[in-house]
Amino acid sequence: MTTDALARPGFGKPVALRRISSQSGLNSAAGHLMMVLLSIFCLFPVYWMLVSSFRPANTLFETSLWPTQPSLDNYTRAIDAIPIARMLVNTLVFSAVSTVFQLLTGILAAFAFARWKFPFDKLIYTGVALTWLVPFQVVMIPNYLLVAQLGLLDSVLALILPNIAAALAIMLLAQAMRGFPKEVIEAARMDGAGNWRILWEVLVPNLRGTIASLAILIFISTWNEYFWPLLLSRTAENSVIQIGIQMFMTAEGNAWGPLMAASTLASLPVLLIYIVLQRQVVQSFMKSGIR
Amino acid sequence: MALASAAPKRLRRKSHARWSPWLYLAPALITLVVWIYWPLVDAVRLSFYQWNMLPTSPQTFVGWENYQRIFALPKFWQALRNTGIYVVGLLPLAVLIPLAIAIYTHDLPERSRNIYRAIIFVPMIIAPVVAAAVWRWLLDPGYGLLNQMLKGLGLDSVKFLSDPKVTIWTVIAITGWKLMGFSTLILSAANANINPSLIEAARMDGASRWEIIRDVRLPLLSSTVLFLVVMTILLGAQWSFTYINVLTGGGPLGATTNIYYLLWDFGFHHVGGLGLGFRRHPFPRLRRHSLRAVPPDRQVFLP
Repeated sequence: MTTDALARPGFGKPVALRRISSQSGLNSAAGHLMMVLLSIFCLFPVYWMLVSSFRPANTLFETSLWPTQPSLDNYTRAIDAIPIARMLVNTLVFSAVSTVFQLLTGILAAFAFARWKFPFDKLIYTGVALTWLVPFQVVMIPNYLLVAQLGLLDSVLALILPNIAAALAIMLLAQAMRGFPKEVIEAARMDGAGNWRILWEVLVPNLRGTIASLAILIFISTWNEYFWPLLLSRTAENSVIQIGIQMFMTAEGNAWGPLMAASTLASLPVLLIYIVLQRQVVQSFMKSGIR
Repeated sequence: MALASAAPKRLRRKSHARWSPWLYLAPALITLVVWIYWPLVDAVRLSFYQWNMLPTSPQTFVGWENYQRIFALPKFWQALRNTGIYVVGLLPLAVLIPLAIAIYTHDLPERSRNIYRAIIFVPMIIAPVVAAAVWRWLLDPGYGLLNQMLKGLGLDSVKFLSDPKVTIWTVIAITGWKLMGFSTLILSAANANINPSLIEAARMDGASRWEIIRDVRLPLLSSTVLFLVVMTILLGAQWSFTYINVLTGGGPLGATTNIYYLLWDFGFHHVGGLGLGFRRHPFPRLRRHSLRAVPPDRQVFLP
């Protein structure tokens, strides 16, 4: 109501402006409060994980916001209990190899969709896109049986195999390639470049940004992958860190200190990537990564 | 002369073009067919057979019997109902609250917005297992921080992960924790894309703050909101899978089991006697008593 009165013509611009800015000052204070609360809600559990991981067993149940006698006790206990280094290496191999292959197969397939019209191209593209929606729980039994038939149970290779191509990579890259200026490709062709050279010497270098953000996305989601390793792993030595964490949570009790230490170690690589490449990580997830 | 030589060349390129897209597509398509499409067909086919998943044992065709049996199971209907609860329970956390925050905070200065953005995104990159572990610790009935705070306030402690009435909401809240910052960012980005002159024009016409939100911002945000709602409906119950598996095992009394967890439960958890040895907890030697008793008459259903 008051806004109406103030916005009436003849009241003069300065008054209206002052009115708006004081109102927005109040609003932005409330906005800040809201964002601070949300930030605490989002960050506190991660902070508590870090703090708890540095609390030795005798002070574990303290509620102070800072560890009173910080120690690495939990880390040594966690490392004694499970082969954490080995699991971290497995996770790294799993994530890195999956990322490279998903990018490779994605780049090739996306180029086919962007470059040519061929019979059933739209149908096949839809077929690729739909795989993104198939819940893993539906295909897990046949997948598990296939891995068993190949004799690959309990191996990192079997973890990688279903991950060497993914709908998301193909779709994002196809989108980027379709948006690439046709004139540049035409010019390269005039210079006598074949399709293979156009792809690797023109398209890929120019789509570095898209490819890099896709790589970050694939790496982080593979690093955090849980279900497929849970299905395949039989021994700790051939497993990934996400499975390792679970070993500190049992029905008869939880080893809270080592659990928090192992969780911290498992999160560290991803958090480091995030701290260094924060803007790119957020952007790559926002473009695509709700899953 | 030039024309004459150009024609065969174009022809050659055309025949070349007929098979080259397939070469480029092959690695991706083969992978997707082997690991997704063929399994999908196989899962449908197996749903008409009785089979215990041992390669040597016979598969008997049973028609619709598996379906009749699963529809006759109270557990199935409970899981279906729970799946609905997950989706409906997630909507406020994954869409409504982020929408309110995104609209309310659109005029914050660039600098502080970037800081908030960096912080609220953190849950999204944290591994689900780690999130489950941390929340299990925060919610522990004896020493968890939350229950210690409740005790400090003179309240009774809550069994967040074992009270059948509470547990499903705990799992929904944890799933929401993971998604809230992300949804807020998506909606903030959409909100920031709204042309300021539209807002200004509405303000000039004397629209109140609420009228601007209702008549300008919300309609312009509706496609993003719709996207998030569809994602929540399609994937919401799947997002909670890890938390169910790590934190509750579908219990207590099936209270947190949704359709996806039920598939996993039928497929792997209850077939301990068949040598597949699948279980909620990895590595039996550390598991000791955690394996729940398997009813002797348990049948294996395939989805």
